[in-house]
Amino acid sequence: MTRLVEVPSQFDDRSFDQFAAGYAQAASGGERLLFDAHAAEWASPYGLVGLLAAGEAAGRRAAGGERPLLTVPSSAEVVSYWARAGFFREAADLFEIHGKVPKTKPATESEVLLPVTPVRAAEDVHAVVSTIQQRASAILAKELGLDPKATMGFAMALSEACQNIVEHAGAGGWVAVQSYNWRRKLARRVVVIAVADAGVGFRHSLEPSQAKRFGDRWGDAAALEAALIQGTSRFRDPGRGQGLAGIRRYLARWEGKVAIRSGTARIAIVPKWDDDVPLRDGLPAFPGSQVLLIIPEQGSPQA
Amino acid sequence: MIQHIKVHEVLQQSVAGFYADLVTRPTGRAVRESIERALPAGTIAVMDFTGVGCLDYSCADEIVAKLVREKVRVLLLRCTSDAHRDAIEPVLLGHGLAAVCERPDGTLHVIGAREPAAALLDELVAQHVAARTPGGAIALTAA
Repeated sequence: MTRLVEVPSQFDDRSFDQFAAGYAQAASGGERLLFDAHAAEWASPYGLVGLLAAGEAAGRRAAGGERPLLTVPSSAEVVSYWARAGFFREAADLFEIHGKVPKTKPATESEVLLPVTPVRAAEDVHAVVSTIQQRASAILAKELGLDPKATMGFAMALSEACQNIVEHAGAGGWVAVQSYNWRRKLARRVVVIAVADAGVGFRHSLEPSQAKRFGDRWGDAAALEAALIQGTSRFRDPGRGQGLAGIRRYLARWEGKVAIRSGTARIAIVPKWDDDVPLRDGLPAFPGSQVLLIIPEQGSPQA
Repeated sequence: MIQHIKVHEVLQQSVAGFYADLVTRPTGRAVRESIERALPAGTIAVMDFTGVGCLDYSCADEIVAKLVREKVRVLLLRCTSDAHRDAIEPVLLGHGLAAVCERPDGTLHVIGAREPAAALLDELVAQHVAARTPGGAIALTAA
C-alpha cells in the first residue's frame, strides 16, 4: 500500500507545516510514500529543498530502501520552473518520478542565483560560496539596493548556513538561492536562501551538551533557542556557535529574516515588515533542519 | 623578528582545489596548522589577506582567533577588507582577544576586545616594530 503526501499548491515556508503534517501522518506506517505535487502552482526555494529532504527521509525509512514516488506538477510551466531551479536533477536520485520532466539544465537566469545544490562536505560549501559571489553581486546591488560590499557578507551568511549541514546534520542536504518579487507580502524584491536536510536536527545535535541545562524544558524549541538566540554549539570550543550569530548580525543590518524549523519547532528573528511568530512549538514532526534567510530590497515602500 | 604570512598562498598549499575563499572549519583548520608549523611561538606576525575573497566566521575563528590565543604575541592583519574585519572582530570579541589592523595608509588600529587592545600597540612600539607618527597615529617602522 502507498500513502499519499500532498504537496501544497503554493509551497513555501508558510505552507510547510501543512506538508509536514501530511508527511508525519503518512510516514507513521511502514508503507511507501507518494508525494503528490500535481496541483503545485508555485514552490519557493524552501519548498523545493524541503521536498528533497522529505524524499530522502522517506527513502531511508522505507523497507529495502525503496524510493518514494513523486508525481510532478501537471502545469508544464511549473515543471519547467522546477527543472530550471535544479530540483529534478537532485530529485532523480531520491524519488521514482512520475510525469514528464523537461531535460533542462539548471538555470543561469537572474532569478535563480543558485539552483538546488547538494551540500555534503566542506568542498560543496566552497563551490556554493564561489558560485554565489560570481552570480549574486550585481543582483544584490542593482535589484536589492544593497551596498556592493554586502555581497561578501551574503556569501558569509550562506557559507555558515550550509556548514550547519556539514557540521551537525549527520546527513547531506541542499541549498537554493533565488531572487523574486514578493508582491504578496512586501511589494518588493527579496533574495531567499533556503537550506534543508533530513539529518538529526538541532535537538539531537545539542542534547549531550545542553539538555541538562534546560531540564524539563528541553526539546526542539529549547534547542533552537539555544542555537539561534544563545549561540550555543555541541562543541565545547568557545569559538563555536558563531555562525548563526553572524547570520543574525548580517540580516539585522539589512532588515532580513531568519527562520529555522527543526523537529516539532520553528524559531524566527522577525523583522518589522513581517508578522511571523518568533517561536512555535508542537508542530508536526519533520526530520532534520530547514533554514530560511530572506533579504529584502532596501529602501522601497512596504506593502 | 616579524613573521610574514600570506594567507592566500597558505590556502593554496593547504587544501586541494583552487580556492580564494576562506570558508568552512576544515579549511580554516588546515590553513592554521600550516601556519603553525612555520611559525615560532610567541612571535609578532603579519598576516596578509591579499587575494582572499570571502572569510567566514568559522575560518576567522579557526585561523585568527586560535593563532592569537595560542601561538602569536601580536598578530597584525594587513590588506583586510571591511568584510574580512566584519568576520574577524566579533570572533575576537567572543574570545576576549584583540589583533592589530593596518590601514591602507600604514597606520595601525586595534580590533577586538578593548582590554588587550592598548597593550598590543604598546608592545609593538616597545619592540621598535612600530612608532608614533607626527600626526599621533602609530605605524610600522619596518615590515
